[in-house]
Amino acid sequence: MQPGRIARSWRGFRDVLKGTGESHLEASIQDHLFGYERALAHPLTVTIVLGVIIGLAVSGALILALRRRISGTSYSGAFRRWRSWCWLVGVIFVPVLAGAFWTMLAVMVLSLLCFREYARVTGLFREKTICAVVVLGILLVTAAAIDHWPDDRLFFALGPLVGAMIVIVSIPFDRPRGFIQRVALGVLGFVLLGYSLGYISNMANVTNLAHTGIDFRPLVLLLIAAVEFNDMLAALIGRTLGEKAILPTTSPRKTWAGALGAATLTTALVTAAGGWLFQGTPIAEPGWLIGLGLLISVLGQLGDLTLSSIKRDVGVEDVGATLPGHGGLLDRFDSLVLVPPAVYHYLSLALGPDGPLGSEGPHRILTGGWGG
Amino acid sequence: MEDWTLRPAKDLDLAGADRHRSYDRESGLVANVARFAWWTMIRGSLKLMHRLEIHGRENLPEFPSFVLVANHASHLDALVLGATLPLKLRDQLFPLAAGDVFFHTPALAAFSATVLNALPVWRKKVGAHAIQQLRSRLIDEPSIYILFPEGGRTRDGSMRPFKSGIGMMTAGTQVPVVPCHLEGTFEAFPPESYLPRLHKVTVRIGAPRTFEHLDNRRPGWDEVSGLLEKDIKTLAGEQPPPDSHLATVDPVQNPSPMTSHTTSTRN
Repeated sequence: MQPGRIARSWRGFRDVLKGTGESHLEASIQDHLFGYERALAHPLTVTIVLGVIIGLAVSGALILALRRRISGTSYSGAFRRWRSWCWLVGVIFVPVLAGAFWTMLAVMVLSLLCFREYARVTGLFREKTICAVVVLGILLVTAAAIDHWPDDRLFFALGPLVGAMIVIVSIPFDRPRGFIQRVALGVLGFVLLGYSLGYISNMANVTNLAHTGIDFRPLVLLLIAAVEFNDMLAALIGRTLGEKAILPTTSPRKTWAGALGAATLTTALVTAAGGWLFQGTPIAEPGWLIGLGLLISVLGQLGDLTLSSIKRDVGVEDVGATLPGHGGLLDRFDSLVLVPPAVYHYLSLALGPDGPLGSEGPHRILTGGWGG
Repeated sequence: MEDWTLRPAKDLDLAGADRHRSYDRESGLVANVARFAWWTMIRGSLKLMHRLEIHGRENLPEFPSFVLVANHASHLDALVLGATLPLKLRDQLFPLAAGDVFFHTPALAAFSATVLNALPVWRKKVGAHAIQQLRSRLIDEPSIYILFPEGGRTRDGSMRPFKSGIGMMTAGTQVPVVPCHLEGTFEAFPPESYLPRLHKVTVRIGAPRTFEHLDNRRPGWDEVSGLLEKDIKTLAGEQPPPDSHLATVDPVQNPSPMTSHTTSTRN
């Protein structure tokens, strides 16, 4: 790469950041990354935002109303959970509505915080070099999403390359005992919390879904809302109706009734919302939509069970104490870890010639004209 | 280094200031990097501003656990002692710091825990339990403590009598204790001033002692602090008072500070 090119592409990015881009491409990049004007452009975004805010208000009022009827400890527990939810909703909604750049930044922070909890619960945090490579991998995933190399080739390259890097940096320590465990924990941490969650950043590159003018906001919000809705339904139905646990040794509280109930209701919700969102695209077929709903619901619950398995293996109840009432951040976002890649590739498949997801640009903000 | 065990952080269920104040605290990558930057900066500034001179570095045990004790005149003291150690030991180095100063607010506690890696000692309520915790931590985990047995900074430049906490932590253990003498830190950063001044600082590191033969009881504790106080006075070039009860100590069991060289062992 010639120095002149680096300077030019940096100037381009700086202009984007300063909002002084003049060409058509730069203006559209700036609009996509930082443009909050289109925040509420799609009615589904408005519906989800309003629905969640109303849901929070109603549940808050309910907790207050039941204050006298329930014990002090269950009231304060419920209140702390509710308050943590308010914070979470804020830190999810604000970046997504603010623009793609902020969404990617928020996903990066989420990845880093989740990986921190994962490393602390498994003991991987004592292996500083492996942790440093995973952190670097998360930063690179974010940079690749911002850069948006055509067809996301840079992003996809990072899966195998960062995995290999974790193996490579572990070799020179000359500690063959425990090598497999250390490397495997590093790779699992990166795949689940860096790469998989990074797909949400990747999805934030959607600016004009199959020429319908729809951007990433309703898509990302629908994904997160459906996963969390599914999670709550599984717990709620499981607690009230269920008896037979799916995996009694892994998680005695997750029951078949909860799983099936959540799958049915989540699929119904995703089919309805998806039918609205994907109107005019090849995805708006009942088959594709029901498949999408089942994918989100089943993988969401499997993500939950993944973290339960990790916690059981280590022998802890919660992975941290970051969120009062929930445990760690990872206790809340465990259902999200398997969903984003599956949804990304599923939608890309469904889009056919209009795909893959987010292929419409903008492209190569950081790498400029480098590397052909 | 151990092979591998699936062992979660001991402070997993703690958050915020509770975690920073805990003796079970275990730190990760962020603190590791912050400490690297901090100690690199401190070494540079001590060399530049205070022309730091270190004598007797060969007396430092190669591996944790061990304890560095010294006379205390200034907030620079722990930094000077930390700067005598190799940078790679920065995560095992735990200065014992006054809880009421260094862990008073959550922000201060975060700084003291993350950057300084300090462990709080609550001076007003320092119970036997807290000291017992510090003692077991020293035995169970590779740690280096920095401790000032005077219990606080001198206000007039002269050394105050040593308290027995160091004895409670090390009497009857194989943990080496390294006596050090600091010169010039009182002039460089006296307790009443807000900024350090350009003044030369010298640190003399004496030979380590172990107190395995002593009982973990009051007479043993007093003997530990008495011996270390004498060592530091010797390092300072002062003669201990002739009527000192230390004159009776068996010289075979307690080699003189300049002859022995103990390698680190764990109990």
